[in-house]
Amino acid sequence: MSLLTSTKELTNLKEQNRKRFMRLEKKIQVKVHLGTCGISSGANRVLDAFLREVETRELTDSVVISKAACIGQCGREPVATVIHPGTGRVIYCDLNEEKVPEIVLRHLIGGHPLTEWTLDISSPLFTLQETRIMHNQDLDPMEIEDYIARDGYQALAKALTGMAPEEVLEEIKNSGLRGRGGAGFPTATKWGFVRLAPGDEKFVVCNGDEGDPGAYMNRAVLEGNPHSVIEGMAIGAYAIGNVRQGYAYVRAEYPLAIDTLNHAIKKAREYGLLGEDIFGTGFKFDLDIFPGAGAFVCGEETALLISIEGKRGNPRQRPPFPANKGLFSKPTTLNNVETWSNIPQIILNGAEWFTSVGNEKCKGTKTLCLVGKIKNTGLVEVPLGTPMGQIVFDIGDGIPGDKKFKAVQIGGPSGGVIPAEHLNTPVDYESVQELGAIMGSGGVVVMDEDSCMVDVAKFFLQFTRDESCGKCTPCRAGIPKMLDLLKKISEGRATLEDLDTLTELAEMISETSICGLGQTAPNPVLTTIRHFRKEYESHIIEKKCPAVVCESLFNAACRHGCPVGINVPKYVAHIAKGEYLQAIETIRERNPFAAVCGRICHHPCEAHCRRRDIDEAIAIRALKRFAADWHFNNATDLPPIEPFPVTQDKKVAIAGAGPTGLSCAYFLAQMGYGVTIFEALPVGGGMLSVAIPEFRLPRKVIQQDIDYIVRRGVKIKYNTPINANFRIRNLLESGFDAALIAAGAQRSQQVGIPGELEDVEGFYYGLRFLRDLKVGKTVRVGRRVAIIGGGNVAVDSARTALRLGASKVDIFYRRSREEMMVSDIEYNEAVAEGVNMNFMVAPTRIDNDNWRVNGLFCMHMKFSEVDASGRRRPVPIPGSEFFVEADTVIAAVGQAPDLSFLPADSRLERSAWERLVVDENRLATNVPGIFAAGDFVTGPDLVIYGIAAGRRAAIAIDKYLRGDISRVEMYDPKVKITPESADIPAADTWEPQPRVVAQTLPAESRKRSFEEIELNFWEDKARKEAQRCLRCDLEAGE
Amino acid sequence: MHTSIPVRPDQELPSDLRIQIEKITQDNTGKAGAVIQVLQQTQGLIGYLPPAALSTVARLTRIPLSEIYGIVSFYHFFALSPKGKHVIQVCMGTACYVKGGEKILKTLKKDFGLEPGGITEDGLFSLETVRCLGCCGLSPVIGIDNNIHRKVRVSQVKDILSAYK
Repeated sequence: MSLLTSTKELTNLKEQNRKRFMRLEKKIQVKVHLGTCGISSGANRVLDAFLREVETRELTDSVVISKAACIGQCGREPVATVIHPGTGRVIYCDLNEEKVPEIVLRHLIGGHPLTEWTLDISSPLFTLQETRIMHNQDLDPMEIEDYIARDGYQALAKALTGMAPEEVLEEIKNSGLRGRGGAGFPTATKWGFVRLAPGDEKFVVCNGDEGDPGAYMNRAVLEGNPHSVIEGMAIGAYAIGNVRQGYAYVRAEYPLAIDTLNHAIKKAREYGLLGEDIFGTGFKFDLDIFPGAGAFVCGEETALLISIEGKRGNPRQRPPFPANKGLFSKPTTLNNVETWSNIPQIILNGAEWFTSVGNEKCKGTKTLCLVGKIKNTGLVEVPLGTPMGQIVFDIGDGIPGDKKFKAVQIGGPSGGVIPAEHLNTPVDYESVQELGAIMGSGGVVVMDEDSCMVDVAKFFLQFTRDESCGKCTPCRAGIPKMLDLLKKISEGRATLEDLDTLTELAEMISETSICGLGQTAPNPVLTTIRHFRKEYESHIIEKKCPAVVCESLFNAACRHGCPVGINVPKYVAHIAKGEYLQAIETIRERNPFAAVCGRICHHPCEAHCRRRDIDEAIAIRALKRFAADWHFNNATDLPPIEPFPVTQDKKVAIAGAGPTGLSCAYFLAQMGYGVTIFEALPVGGGMLSVAIPEFRLPRKVIQQDIDYIVRRGVKIKYNTPINANFRIRNLLESGFDAALIAAGAQRSQQVGIPGELEDVEGFYYGLRFLRDLKVGKTVRVGRRVAIIGGGNVAVDSARTALRLGASKVDIFYRRSREEMMVSDIEYNEAVAEGVNMNFMVAPTRIDNDNWRVNGLFCMHMKFSEVDASGRRRPVPIPGSEFFVEADTVIAAVGQAPDLSFLPADSRLERSAWERLVVDENRLATNVPGIFAAGDFVTGPDLVIYGIAAGRRAAIAIDKYLRGDISRVEMYDPKVKITPESADIPAADTWEPQPRVVAQTLPAESRKRSFEEIELNFWEDKARKEAQRCLRCDLEAGE
Repeated sequence: MHTSIPVRPDQELPSDLRIQIEKITQDNTGKAGAVIQVLQQTQGLIGYLPPAALSTVARLTRIPLSEIYGIVSFYHFFALSPKGKHVIQVCMGTACYVKGGEKILKTLKKDFGLEPGGITEDGLFSLETVRCLGCCGLSPVIGIDNNIHRKVRVSQVKDILSAYK
């Protein structure tokens, strides 16, 4: 290797290496990507395996194996690209040594890519990216010749020999390039200041102190494209003038980045691309690395420069700005790794090329680290202005598992959270800032419903507290005070005034701190309060952490996650010991519908079960069923169930014998009140009885739970509707002291398409269809049944139609599986029985032939932007209409409360949405003594929330009748463990034990029968399952 | 494996170490921020910075010991107490935190009695928390010496540690 003394020699070297590349293109190329993530996942072993395999199979003439840089697929490492002259380019992921021989044999030799191991390069993950910074990731970063072959150092040559420094500056200015490290300050302006500053010795510095947790894009550039940074800095030095030395400050936690950059600098010096008299032009510039020693504050410019001087990295007051007084008190420009890396391409391709992507104010691309709860984790590069929703849901492919998206955190500890309703925000400097966050270096951490926003704020604040240098008081003393308040909130000890104090303190710290660290440290707190105030209030008022994270608020996560707060570990432990009566009594402390919930509860408890960290959650729901069924099956041998003694002289009336009304009645009876329920239908159970088909929840089971409630002293008057003749008011006048309206939500919502006429034969609303069948009416379906909707009623209607003899049942849903509010179990059961799922299809018209359903016109849908609920909005694809023949159409697109039974002159206040206005805490209406709860107030919700509302109503009514005007408090504070509960041992092993699964009837035999599908646990199985419980409640109470 | 030469905090530096530190100081003379690099390389020799090493560096660089201490206590990279034979780094970066890094920390405390900054009785392991190892795609991660262990579940911690003797 010899010095390149002119640009011509550089061009010659380029041509040589281009020819080398062209020769390679005729061969099969295997490129193993060796970034930090790849290496830690075993990429070097994969590389060795390829070398070995190619050697032993004597393929060294036809196959070239090389090292390459990280391509950003950090979650799928090790990754290798195979370029085969015959089959093109494929990317293998999740590689290991065992897979290599297979790939060599079948792909390299056989010519057939193993597509099951490859990434889909036609997916949005690749097609929506614009790789400019990352465009050399297929090269070996240790080979300077590879970089030169791809126009490397041509920009430097062009600048030094063909452009005046002012022209370089002008080109950068025209490109609109803005600093990629934080606030987005225009790069050309920054350089201009330094150029104008007096002094004959100036510096350029690269900020590679990438300290934001959750961000490593700079590391990837330094490891993968180091020469672009070197070249960019040399061009910057030329444009600014009087710069002979540059420094790259790289954090010590990135050893590979430091090694790679060191090697690149060494090679550049050997070619004379750094040093004296570059290309014979007289321009001299050299570069050294300064390894940072791990201080986050050194990402701040003044602190970083002081650190290079070998001192404590305390920031200092500005002005003077580094442009005038920087490193060693000389004029200095400091830019981020990615900013420098953009420079060569702008000079080479021109400002116009650079501005071809991006939006009005922000040009070019930005690399982002997409991490956290997202399917495609890794490094992506997108045009500035790309909507956040597209990044999360298209490029990132959404949230893994059955969890819901909650927020993204952008910009690290200086940034903030962006909630679902702002997912259409374009990712550019200004738009992100308007929401209270900052772009920062581009770390995007995706969070799902399991992340608590108070906890997240606390996490970031702990970080900035630890990293505060301590120089200025607001940051040093203020952040710990904020943290104290956050701790108080997360422990349920705070008041609403504390929340105001926290906000005030945050604003003060951000206004008065010396440097960026203190000024931005409050951002995570301010943005979480701004976008998730309800969650803070829940911690403060309800003492509840909705995400079940803040451990000071609970003993066991499963119990905290249960809307009615059943003492889950206790009843599970009772089952483990064989104490089934105690188990069912524990359940009924909070939920009289043990048998019902043992079958159809959506069991949020299991979602929070800690055993999931080892293997699978405890089968809490199935154990509840076991306890309930045991109780009913052994009733004759057990002591008789006595009514609760009536100890109060006040009486309560309840309208509606659904889960909410019955639960409220049960808890009021327990408190000693006389309670009477008025029910319009001849049966109780509400939605349970009318909507859930027999094969999921047999009538007999509902009746068992209702009978139990009646035996505890609740009176039910059936066939007694509340209407204009028998009004709520009449109840209060006829001896009742309070009344609860719990009439449910049973009015079917219309789809809103032509042909939706109830008189047409073969058209039903789902709820009506299920109800008619349940109450014993004859319901007929045709051979081909089409269902509209994606909820429980839709799936239950489909499965019911199959059982009524339909031969083809199709569900048409306008969104995808992920948006369906149906559990995996139910979904899989329906599919196994033969229900066809048609996603991204919306009906446009129900066709009839002489008042008989003939079929359904539909359109295919595609996803567009994200709506306020955090879901992508489906929009029709023009020209995609098609017709589906059907003789029965069932519409099941939702239900709403039916207020029609209330007389027009009712004094009860209604909202715009045709719902009653009630106080959220006390469930009181505007009329004293009248309360309303459950689906009737909230719209259709899951049964356990109805039961929770019933319990809240009972407590509220009791308070009202006692003249207590304080708020309802329903929390279960963390308690010390009693010796009695600790008596039951926890599973003492970390060894995985698979979850015991309850048996189900086989799909073939069940699909024509209404028999209950899920079978009960046998006793020994139930006890075995219960013994898997880790008893986290005991540990937490120590 | 750590290559450090063990020196107890209350010990004087053996002469061969003193000579090596002198060489490091000479190599870095004239460089920007030389003292930080000298300290980094000295720590590389010993594994941490015992008082004797700090005063040696102070004497050689002619920087007051108070200032040296100020630098050493400022940057996380520097350790003033000995580390275990193997250093466990639990990443507490955002991605790892969101994915349960704290549970790993709790397991290390519960099953191995290790707290951040602590060392096991046999000196085999010491524990520290770090702010992002830059492997967010593999979170939660722990680093042991220079090996990154990816997507760690609490149930795997014991097995992972047992590979280090």
